[in-house]
Amino acid sequence: MSELSDVAPAEQAADVIVPPERPTETPVELPRPAPRVRRLNIIGRRNLFFAVSLIIIIPGILSMATKGFLLGIDFAGGTEFTITFANQPSVASVENAVAADPLTAGGTVIQTGGNGGYIIRSLPLTPQQQQIVEDHLVGRLGPMVGGAPQQVIEVGGTIARETIEFALLALVLASAAILFLLAIRFRNVPGGWRAGFQFGGSALAALLHDVFLLTGLFSIMGKVLGWRIGEIDSLFVTAVLTVVGFSVHDTIVVFDRIRENLRVSQRLSFEQVVNLSIMQTAARSIITSFTVVLVLTAILIAGGTTLKGFALALLIGIVSGTYSSIFNASPLLVVWRRVQPLR
Amino acid sequence: MQLVLSWPVRLLIIGILVFSLFVDGAGYIYRVANHYPLTGNVPGLPPNFGSWQLYIHRGLDLAGGTHIDYQLANFPPGQSRADVQQRTIQVINKRVNSLGVSEPQIRGAGNNNDRITVDLAGVTAQQAQKTIGAISKLVYTKWVADSKVTNGPEPGYKPAFVGLTGDDIQSASAAIDQSGVSWVVNISFTSRGAGVFDNLTRDNVAACPGTGTDCPQRHLTIWLDLTQQDIDNWETATYVSQVSAPYDTGCLAAQTPNTVCGKFLTDPTTLQEISGGQAQISGNFTQGSATDLATGINAGSLPVDLQVLDVTQVGSTLGAESVKLSLAAGLLGLSIVVLFMIIYYRVPGLLASIALLFYAAAVLAIFKVVPVTLTLAGITGFILSVGMAVDANVLIFERFKEEVRAGRTIPAAVDAAVRRAWPAIRDSNTSTLITCVILGFVGPPAVQGFAITLGIGVVASLISAIIVTHNLLAIVMTGSALRRPWLMGVDRSVGAV
Repeated sequence: MSELSDVAPAEQAADVIVPPERPTETPVELPRPAPRVRRLNIIGRRNLFFAVSLIIIIPGILSMATKGFLLGIDFAGGTEFTITFANQPSVASVENAVAADPLTAGGTVIQTGGNGGYIIRSLPLTPQQQQIVEDHLVGRLGPMVGGAPQQVIEVGGTIARETIEFALLALVLASAAILFLLAIRFRNVPGGWRAGFQFGGSALAALLHDVFLLTGLFSIMGKVLGWRIGEIDSLFVTAVLTVVGFSVHDTIVVFDRIRENLRVSQRLSFEQVVNLSIMQTAARSIITSFTVVLVLTAILIAGGTTLKGFALALLIGIVSGTYSSIFNASPLLVVWRRVQPLR
Repeated sequence: MQLVLSWPVRLLIIGILVFSLFVDGAGYIYRVANHYPLTGNVPGLPPNFGSWQLYIHRGLDLAGGTHIDYQLANFPPGQSRADVQQRTIQVINKRVNSLGVSEPQIRGAGNNNDRITVDLAGVTAQQAQKTIGAISKLVYTKWVADSKVTNGPEPGYKPAFVGLTGDDIQSASAAIDQSGVSWVVNISFTSRGAGVFDNLTRDNVAACPGTGTDCPQRHLTIWLDLTQQDIDNWETATYVSQVSAPYDTGCLAAQTPNTVCGKFLTDPTTLQEISGGQAQISGNFTQGSATDLATGINAGSLPVDLQVLDVTQVGSTLGAESVKLSLAAGLLGLSIVVLFMIIYYRVPGLLASIALLFYAAAVLAIFKVVPVTLTLAGITGFILSVGMAVDANVLIFERFKEEVRAGRTIPAAVDAAVRRAWPAIRDSNTSTLITCVILGFVGPPAVQGFAITLGIGVVASLISAIIVTHNLLAIVMTGSALRRPWLMGVDRSVGAV
């Protein structure tokens, strides 16, 4: 493992960009040209990056605490009709028709597209009542495309509560499992188990950063700005959990490099090792996120309405995950080391 | 990494590839040749192994249909909850069969055996709820002489109610009789039912005395939903033959004033007075026909009350739209990734793309073989696992560039890159797998579908990224013409920021 000790002392505290070099077929170690050094000191500016994160997260947390979320049908409970009307009635006329029916009075109407598509929500209805509502709507607004609603969802309060409980339980369990996995995998760096938990804890903090940033932004979009795309449902929960997976992925890649560099570069300080590791893995983190972002942008632009909120959640979460693994997780590890020195 | 590059491993990979292509390909050739639709189940679909057919099972959000969660309430006291739940599932199954749904999914759920989940493709919520929740009333009749009756179970006689109904029956079950050879249906009555039944059987035997005699007065017939109006029409021959057809709960549930549904269950003769409240119907039963009759008798009264917890009805057009969109998104994503990999990493990128196709084929084959029911969330899990498959390759290739810059030969750099990227790939994918397992166990159903496809995808992506890409690279390395730095994407320093 001594091959990697080619980081000369002169290059310390810097990230190394090696200029183009002709690779040779012969395994002879050639004298290497002096590396060009660019100072991108992420660890040194860590407070700036922490501040950036907090500026985004704190309003989100405030919004969540005071306003909550715009809830999708599977969390809120009730009956939801997805209907496309052949005559393409206006929003106002659909709202009037909904308000005129005592079964749906007080319900909400959402337009899903320009071609007569609407989502109508009401309190829970029995099948007979649903039929009455459908007949009533057809009577006032003309026939439905296909002769029936595209989708009817009815969710009782029990299921809605259980979905939320399951989602939270899954998140807590997954976080705990990730903390322990990292502690186990990183206990063999200098410092043992305590170091392992420092790595695990920092990754967990970055993960929670992404979760709060994402949920906070959706709370703001849904409740403060009143955008429908900020609505949260089961798919949003799936998105959050995916982001958790991706964020930990990114963080582990950086941490793995730190683990490796700690072994081979004994001469560098911990901060220098961390900064070097971030620089060495940045290309990979950005390239991977970039490809995923491309795919998600395509879904966001071209995908159907059901998938748009989901794609947006993933997009925000993955950008946040990459940011937090580079700018938060590793700097946090450095701060933690300072507070609780291990070597 | 010698193990990875050994021939047994390569043969295994080739085997998986051949199997995947067979599973993925054979079905489509058959579909096209026979002008069948390209998705879903079609008759005789190869490769089929008996009743085990290989095709992508679509969830309700893609296929269209109705999903209902029921809460079971008012369990009969003194019976095992698991049994009651099982019996309810049988009754629902029986009722749903009349709808002609392909592959109805009726599963028990709930920590306390107190839930049943029903998935019915291509059925509206109303049809489903009417059929499942139908309250069919089971009635007993005896027979009274009426010379104008020409057909039905007892020509020359018409039925008359005897005041014994499904409410008086505790349960019915199929069993093997004391002799241990033939199947019978055991009926146990409630205490009120036992008394009424005792009187009836005594009167029947008295009306037509003797041992082993059989006359219409000795028959006690069981019907579902038979009404006085039906009996008043008994002299109309066509009406009687329709009503006397075997019962059809689907028809009964969706009945309109003009349809005449079959309501007949069974017409046994009374052999002797039965006083203990335990009756046995024997005849030429098979296990299947005995179970059918028992279920039919039970169908008159579901053992529990069903309360609807939630209902989702997806129209088939919305489902088809979702399939189209997610397919488009998946293909678009895959093409972007392949294009990017080839432009950015050149030969290694091309090899990784080939590995990616291998990966996609293998995962599709796994979905068919297991089988995994694909939902919208499940497809998303699959698309995301493509991202993770690419990530492992990016890690290896970035490391490869570093190793080349550090002065290694290209073949040596490949080995070192795979070896050194491995811990990061292993740990990050382990964390994803752990998350998948947790979601698979505690998540709500939509999230479970996602966790299963992502989990399968992650495992397959590990194999594809580490073993397949590495082997392809090693094979390419032996041809010196391809060992040029430019082709390997390492002529320019594009690694770090």
